[in-house]
Amino acid sequence: MAPDWSEVVPHVREGLVVCDAGGVVRHVNPVAARLLPELVPGTPLAAGVPAITTDPAGFGHRSRRLTARRVALSDGRCCWYVEDVTDHVDRADALLAERARASFLAGVGTTLGSLLHPDRAAAAVVRLAVPVLADAAVLVLAPRAGRVRWWRAVRSGDEAPAVDGGVLAAGDLPQAVADALGGVRAHAVDWLSEQATGAGWLPGAAPGGTHARLVPLPGVDTPAGVLLVTPPPGGSPDEDGTELLDAFAARAGAALTAAALYRDQAEVAETLQSSLLPVEPPGVPGIQWGTAYRPAQAGLRIGGDFYGAHPLADGGALFFLGDVSGKGVEAAVFTGQLRQCLHALHRVESRPGPLLALLNDTLLETVQAHGQGRFATLVLGVARPCRDGGLTLTMAGGGHLPPLVLRGGGEVETVPLRGMLIGVVGDPRIGEATVRLAPGETCVLYSDGVTEARGGPRGDQQFGAQRLVDTLTGCHRMPAPALAERIAQVAGDWLTRGDHDDVAVLAVRAVGPGRHLHAVPAPAGQPGTSR
Amino acid sequence: MTAARTPAAAYADYLDHLAEADESGAIGVALDLLDAGVPAERVLLDLVAPAQEDVGERWARNEWSVAQEHAATHVSERVVAALAGRTRAAPTRGRIVVACIDGEWHALPPRLVAEVLRLRGWRVTFLGASVPAAHLVSYLHRHDAHAVALACAVPVRLPQAHRMVEACRRADVPVLVGGRGFGADGRWADRLGMLWAPDAPAAADLVADARALSRVPPARLDHLADDEYAALVARRAELVDGALADLRERVPATRAYDRARLDATVSDLGHILDFLAAALYVDDGSLFTEFVRWLVTVLTSRGVPAAALAATLEHYGGVLREFPRAAGFLDRGRALLASAAEPVGR
Repeated sequence: MAPDWSEVVPHVREGLVVCDAGGVVRHVNPVAARLLPELVPGTPLAAGVPAITTDPAGFGHRSRRLTARRVALSDGRCCWYVEDVTDHVDRADALLAERARASFLAGVGTTLGSLLHPDRAAAAVVRLAVPVLADAAVLVLAPRAGRVRWWRAVRSGDEAPAVDGGVLAAGDLPQAVADALGGVRAHAVDWLSEQATGAGWLPGAAPGGTHARLVPLPGVDTPAGVLLVTPPPGGSPDEDGTELLDAFAARAGAALTAAALYRDQAEVAETLQSSLLPVEPPGVPGIQWGTAYRPAQAGLRIGGDFYGAHPLADGGALFFLGDVSGKGVEAAVFTGQLRQCLHALHRVESRPGPLLALLNDTLLETVQAHGQGRFATLVLGVARPCRDGGLTLTMAGGGHLPPLVLRGGGEVETVPLRGMLIGVVGDPRIGEATVRLAPGETCVLYSDGVTEARGGPRGDQQFGAQRLVDTLTGCHRMPAPALAERIAQVAGDWLTRGDHDDVAVLAVRAVGPGRHLHAVPAPAGQPGTSR
Repeated sequence: MTAARTPAAAYADYLDHLAEADESGAIGVALDLLDAGVPAERVLLDLVAPAQEDVGERWARNEWSVAQEHAATHVSERVVAALAGRTRAAPTRGRIVVACIDGEWHALPPRLVAEVLRLRGWRVTFLGASVPAAHLVSYLHRHDAHAVALACAVPVRLPQAHRMVEACRRADVPVLVGGRGFGADGRWADRLGMLWAPDAPAAADLVADARALSRVPPARLDHLADDEYAALVARRAELVDGALADLRERVPATRAYDRARLDATVSDLGHILDFLAAALYVDDGSLFTEFVRWLVTVLTSRGVPAAALAATLEHYGGVLREFPRAAGFLDRGRALLASAAEPVGR
């Protein structure tokens, strides 16, 4: 039985247009009539729908997207099958747009997530906003001490956007921005562009007006800042754009809040930290100091090793190097207490042995009062210049590694200095020794981070005292700073793995009278560096 | 004697002061030049910098001891400090942080860069030798920097340099690098996707050009997918052990080495692997052959025959035969030794 085509055809979902050999429309089914109402039987197809094409990408017609197939019929006639793919294309476009948004936000999160400096974070926020979210973006941070800092990024061709910024007095803020910073969310702000132009943030209003938008960046309580954006040309602020902007604002606000929090905490930490860092020894005639300091926790730059020196009123200097039990911040705090104790005590007692005993008693009291089992090892000495340009070192030992003396001939001697830990028992046994340094000779104090550095072929061998002696042997012509750095370097190179104990070195060299080696000023701008 | 009026005329005198570790003499030469009207930048670049290169070469040729080299370097640093003291200028531009990468102790070249930047008006923070990445990053989080300049003099530190540059970039601070560790023409910096400056003036020009600073070349490290680098690093201790056993087998005299000579040998055996690893990291055999050429100079000037090195390269080549890139680099090293051995013929 042959199908009854006249009953079937009206229900086909594609539009059907039958043309004769001359391209004149002969039949149009109801779907085609709805999609292409211009087509009138008896008129040429090309006149009614000039855009019709068999391109698989289709063609736009009356705000729909259509695709068409052309099938040849008998006698030179043809039939066009026209399909409406608008919804399908919209769904694909929406998916792509969603993917682009997700990847944009992921990139924003990654970049902002690792920025802890408030200025860097602020600059990144405006830079990231252009060109995806805005043609121009201005970030205004919450006021601090009556002043407001702002950053701006402006699209510049295909290059990375140009970023600049400035400072305004809080009173000069445009009202809308001040309101937004105060937590008042303005939904539609008139004359926003004019206000922004007035503040010098945007160039004169473009013809047709710029649709600027103001987005608060959420902070802890009030916004961390507000972002002023002018959308890209042609990009009208649709719902998706608003959602994306809000998602961006949430991330930007979190980053700015974290950076501000970090700044505040780091300021406190840095202040405390600088009081815990060893202070470079002061210049004393006849003495050249050399120091090296490598704390185990590099990021903190503080540790349980300490050294220092104080000039004595009657010439010469008190010097010391030691190591406290424990690691990290707690140990560093303890070294600070020790150094302060010594600073005060050396004014009443400058003989090394009795001074160490005095320090022991003081520590014992503190330790017992706080119930903490802290102790220290250290070497404490007094260097007195002699007439021949040499030094006499009187040293007392509290259970620390014995100092080494580098003689004028290049050979190394170990100073027999022992003694017991400091801060454990009352009246401990304290070692004492006196060493004469001729001009050019050096005494080296060091912490166990040097000798206990683990390395070698298998990474489990200690550097040891003998390697340290070998390192120093023959180095008698080296200035004290170079000697100290050399020890830190050789011990550092010995380490196979990155982790190590705190390392501290103090070298005391006799340089004779009249040589003020610290007269050369240190270069500017390097306080608290690792040198 | 009248003071020299150009760095070239003062050079020999200055080098003598370095040889004697004579700090005040060397400072005197430099300050005299300044007084004679030579700009500080020229004193740094035409006197201090070439003298320091000479010092390194003298050590390599065993003419100077390591102690002399260190003392001379210290004197040069004091000279730089003295020049800085005489040319103090209020900074007018942003902050540049200059540092040696972790494990890198050659601090004088970056120090010169820091001084040249300072002379050109930048606020410079010099963090010094061997700066741990954590220290650098925490510094950047605290103090906003316009750029970071990192120095690396020895290519074995390239993987660390790469990690450190990445860390700075995560802090959103532009980085430029310099130093011989990146190759004489900076090719390894290019491979790792870093901006490289050949010398201090070029570094100064680069930091002044914000667009150039943001134009970072892409890193080309697809070769790391073969894991040869990672495997070599993981097996380092075992490989050094094996090479030492092989050496004792072949050269019985090495069994009687005292601890110091043994340490030196172990360190050399490890060094060969470290350079091989660095060559794998940047996928460039010339990094390894350049090292072999340098090592031959160092060893022969200290009485160690190049043949000993060839045997060790052969041993490593045998153990690492399942690593085609490493084995290829070792072959090139041996070929270089073979061709170098002929004309010398002693």
